[in-house]
Amino acid sequence: MGYVNRRNRTIAGVFLLPTVAVLFLTTIYPMLYALYLSFRNYDLAKPFIPRIFVGLANFQEVLTSGPFMHSMWITFKLMAVTLTFQFVIGVGLALLVTQRLPGMAAIRTLLLIPMMISPVIVGLVWLFIYFPELGYLNYFIGLIGINPIPWITSTQWALTAIAIADIWQWTPFVMMGTAAALQSLSPEPYEAALIDGNSRIDVFLYVTLPQLKPVLISLLFLRAIDAFKIYDIIFVLTKGGPGDATETIALYIYRQSFTFWRMGVGAAASFVSLIIISVLITLFFKSMQKSAVAR
Amino acid sequence: MASVSLTNVVKAFGAFKVVHGVDLDITDGEFVVLLGPSGCGKTTTLRMVAGLEDVSGGEICIAGEVINDRPPKDRKIAMVFQNYALYPHMTVRQNMEFALKPQKLSKAEVDAKIAGVAGMLGLDALLQRKPAQLSGGQRQRVAMARAMVRTPEVFLFDEPLSNLDAKLRTQVRMEIAKLHKQLGTTVIYVTHDQVEAMTLADKIVIMKDGYIEQIGSPEEVFAHPKNLFVATFIGSPSMNLFRMTVERGDKGPVLSSAAFTIAAPVDKSGKLTPGQAVTLGIRPSDVRLARAGEPGAIEARVEVVEYLGVEALVDLRVGTQEFIAQIPAGERPAPDETVKVVFNQAGLHLFDSESGQAL
Ligand SMILES: Nc1ncnc2c1ncn2[C@@H]1O[C@H](COP(=O)(O)OP(=O)(O)OP(=O)(O)O)[C@@H](O)[C@H]1O
Ligand SMILES: [Mg+2]
Repeated sequence: MGYVNRRNRTIAGVFLLPTVAVLFLTTIYPMLYALYLSFRNYDLAKPFIPRIFVGLANFQEVLTSGPFMHSMWITFKLMAVTLTFQFVIGVGLALLVTQRLPGMAAIRTLLLIPMMISPVIVGLVWLFIYFPELGYLNYFIGLIGINPIPWITSTQWALTAIAIADIWQWTPFVMMGTAAALQSLSPEPYEAALIDGNSRIDVFLYVTLPQLKPVLISLLFLRAIDAFKIYDIIFVLTKGGPGDATETIALYIYRQSFTFWRMGVGAAASFVSLIIISVLITLFFKSMQKSAVAR
Repeated sequence: MASVSLTNVVKAFGAFKVVHGVDLDITDGEFVVLLGPSGCGKTTTLRMVAGLEDVSGGEICIAGEVINDRPPKDRKIAMVFQNYALYPHMTVRQNMEFALKPQKLSKAEVDAKIAGVAGMLGLDALLQRKPAQLSGGQRQRVAMARAMVRTPEVFLFDEPLSNLDAKLRTQVRMEIAKLHKQLGTTVIYVTHDQVEAMTLADKIVIMKDGYIEQIGSPEEVFAHPKNLFVATFIGSPSMNLFRMTVERGDKGPVLSSAAFTIAAPVDKSGKLTPGQAVTLGIRPSDVRLARAGEPGAIEARVEVVEYLGVEALVDLRVGTQEFIAQIPAGERPAPDETVKVVFNQAGLHLFDSESGQAL
C-alpha cells in the first residue's frame, strides 16, 4: 500500500468525515429521497396519508401526459432561440471589443454588467420594462407610433419577452469568453493573411473561427446546461404563464410539486431531466475529447 | 523580381524613435541581410517594408514605385515569420491553398503550384499533416513553401532559423542559399547571427540603435570594417583592441602603449599625428607565434589555452592588456608559458579612439 498505510487511511477518513457528512445531507440524501418519492404517491396537502408505492406510474404520467412534453418543448425552443442570439451577438461583440480602439476597455466593462446581476433582479428590471401600461418599452415604441404590446400577459409574446431578457443577461458571458480566447490567439497568422491578401471574411471563417471552436463548444454547453434549468427570470416575469406558455421544465417541476402538491410527479420529472442533462454533459465531454485529439 | 529602396526611412513609436533615417538600395535579385544586436530595429525595418508597420518618415519603393501607403497585399512580397505563423488547424496543403486563395486561380493551377513548391522543398509526404505533427525544421520549410507558392517579387525573412537547433540551422541555411540561387528572387533577411549573414548575404547591412553602421559585401565588412562597432561585431572570436598613442619613431610613426610599441601600418601613416589616441584592432587569426629572432615580436604570457581541434584559442596577457590568438592547434603553448607573438601587417586595423571611425 506504499506510503499511505492503513493507519494513515483511517486518519484521512476521519478528516474527510465532516465533508462527506455535509455532502450526504445536502446532496445525496435529498437525491435519494427524491428517488424514493418518485415511486410514491405523496400529496403535500395531505402529509399524513401513507405514501403508497405506485411503481412507474409517476414516470408514466410525466413521459406520456402533455404538460411535461410541452414544458420540454418550451425549454428547448427557448434554449435554441436564446443561444443562437447570445452566440451571434456575443461573438460579434467580442470581435468588436478586442479591436484596439480608444475606449474599448470601458465599453467592455460596461457590457459585462448584465451578467453580474442576479437573475431575479434581472427579472424585476425587465418587469418594469415590460409592464403593460406603465412599462418603458411600450412607452418608447409608443413614441414611434407602435401600439402597446402585451409583452408578458399574452401567450403570443411572453416567451419572446423572456428570451429577450435572457439574451440581454447572458450575451456578455459569451462575449467575455470569446474575447478572452480571441486575445490568446497569436497575431502572426493574421499578419501572414494580411500580406497574402485574404479577405476579412475568409480570415474570420477559416482562421479565427476554427481556432475558437473549442472555446465556443465549452461556452455553448455551459449556456445549454444553464438554459435547460432556466427558472428565476421566468418565475419573476410570468410564473410560467400565461397558461403554460412559458412553462419550462424547471417551472413544470415547481408547479407539480408546490402548486399542485404532487411531490411524486415532481420528483419523477426531476429525474427525467437529470437524465437528459447527464446525456448533454456526456456529449459535451465526448466532443471536447474529439476536438482535443484533432488538434 | 524587383528592386527595393529605402530613402531616409524613419520609424517612431509615439515619441520614441527606433529607426533613424535608413537609406538602403537593394538591386533586383539581391540577397540582403539586416544584421545587428537585439533591439536595433531590424524587425521594425522589415515590417515597414512588409506594410505591417506604418512608415513615420521617408520613402520605401518596390520596383520603382513608392509603396508607403499601399496595403501589404499590394506590395508583391511574401514574409516568413520567426515562429512560422502557420495556420494551426490547417494541413500543410491547406496552408498553401489559403495563401493562394486571394489570387483566385483554378483548381488545376493551385495544384500545380503546390506540387511544384512541395517538390522543391521536399514536402510531398507531409501535405496532409497539420503543423503540430511536424518537426521544427519541417514547419520552417512549410512556412517558406507558403511564401514561395505565391511567387512574390520580394521575400522577407525575420530570423527564420532562430527556433532551430544548431545542426538543423546549418542545413536549412544551405537550403535557403540554394533556393535563392534557383529562384533569383530579391530577399531581405533579418538575423542577429553573423554566421547566417556571412554565408547567405550578397550584401550585409549592419545596424545599431536604429542607425546603419555599414553596408557592404561579407568580405568588405569583415576586411574593412568602417568603425569599431562593426569591427567587433563581425568575426568570432571578436577582434582584439588595443588603446595606443601615436609617437614619432625612427622610420615613421609608431603606436605605443604601456605594454608594447609597434610600427604603424605603412598605408595609414599619413593620417597619423603624434599624440593622437588611436585604437588598434587585430583579429585573433592575424596574431601568430614569432619565429626565433623575428623583429618586432611582442612577449606575452599564456593565460588559458582552448583546444578546438584544428585550431586553438590562446588567451594572452601583456601587462594589463589581454588578447586572443587563434593559431594552429599543433603550435599551441602551455598555460603560464611566455611566448613571443607578431601581428600580421595586413591584418592591422586602426580606428580613431574618439569617433570610433576607421582611419
Ligand atoms: N510596437 C512597439 N511599440 C514600441 N516600441 C517598439 C515596438 N516594436 C518595437 N519597439 C522598439 O523598437 C526597437 C527595435 O525593435 P525591433 O523589434 O525592430 O528590434 P530587432 O532589431 O528586431 O531586435 P531582435 O533581434 O531582438 O528581434 C526596440 O527598442 C523595441 O523596444
Ligand atoms: Mg526582431
